[in-house]
Amino acid sequence: MTTLTRQDLNFGQVVADILCEFLEVAIHLILYVREVYPSGIFQKRKKYNVPVQMSCHPELNQYIQDTLHCVKPLIEKNDAEKVVVVIMDKEHHPVERFVFEMSQPPLLSISSDTLLSHVEQLLRAFILKISVCDAVLNNNPPGCSFTVLVHTRDAATRNMEKVQVIKDFPWIVADEQEVHMQEPRLIPLKTMTSDIVKMQLYVEERAQKT
Amino acid sequence: GASKEQAELHQSSASDKKVILLPCKNPPSRERVQLWLEARKQYESLQKGL
Repeated sequence: MTTLTRQDLNFGQVVADILCEFLEVAIHLILYVREVYPSGIFQKRKKYNVPVQMSCHPELNQYIQDTLHCVKPLIEKNDAEKVVVVIMDKEHHPVERFVFEMSQPPLLSISSDTLLSHVEQLLRAFILKISVCDAVLNNNPPGCSFTVLVHTRDAATRNMEKVQVIKDFPWIVADEQEVHMQEPRLIPLKTMTSDIVKMQLYVEERAQKT
Repeated sequence: GASKEQAELHQSSASDKKVILLPCKNPPSRERVQLWLEARKQYESLQKGL
């Protein structure tokens, strides 16, 4: 049995790998459940031992992968406070925000066996919550699109500069229009606390969507 | 002296400033994806007809 500690050089990478894989599945599922794209592009797959819907559109899949490749160095260094999937109306105003708030505990000493089984169970619960979240959300107006925001610190942005160039996928600071939402309604979906990461997911929904 | 400390403090608080980032590029539009889906369906029906 292998024991990982915070001091291990690759510990941050392990956490980032796990979280980015999860975020990829979560983003596909959000886009399916909230009908941002036609349901015909999604195929049923099995992730975390539960059925999920994943897009088979090459350009969209590449976009999601490139996004997460750029976010990964921030997660690795515990510098991504929030990763937010924003659904926007035709005027590019946010109607819904799926907020993944994450932090890594400062001290830990865990076994790799514990890590794999326990974390997978916890992430499965998030996926199940996302798959039924349409029951607690109002319908979105037609013609919605999406973007992904990452909340970080100015100094940490250096960590993602290299990958932006390699992937030809530049990032910019969000402006007020992309961030501000009028009278949001907060819907908590799931919280998890594990040895490697603490995460909570909630949705902020605009009161008047149309 | 004091001014150097102030400058360092200013620099450190500036680099600790919270920022929200987003990709410059947009994901494919719904219309673009819809066109791709229709083309794929046509291709698949043609394949079945062969």
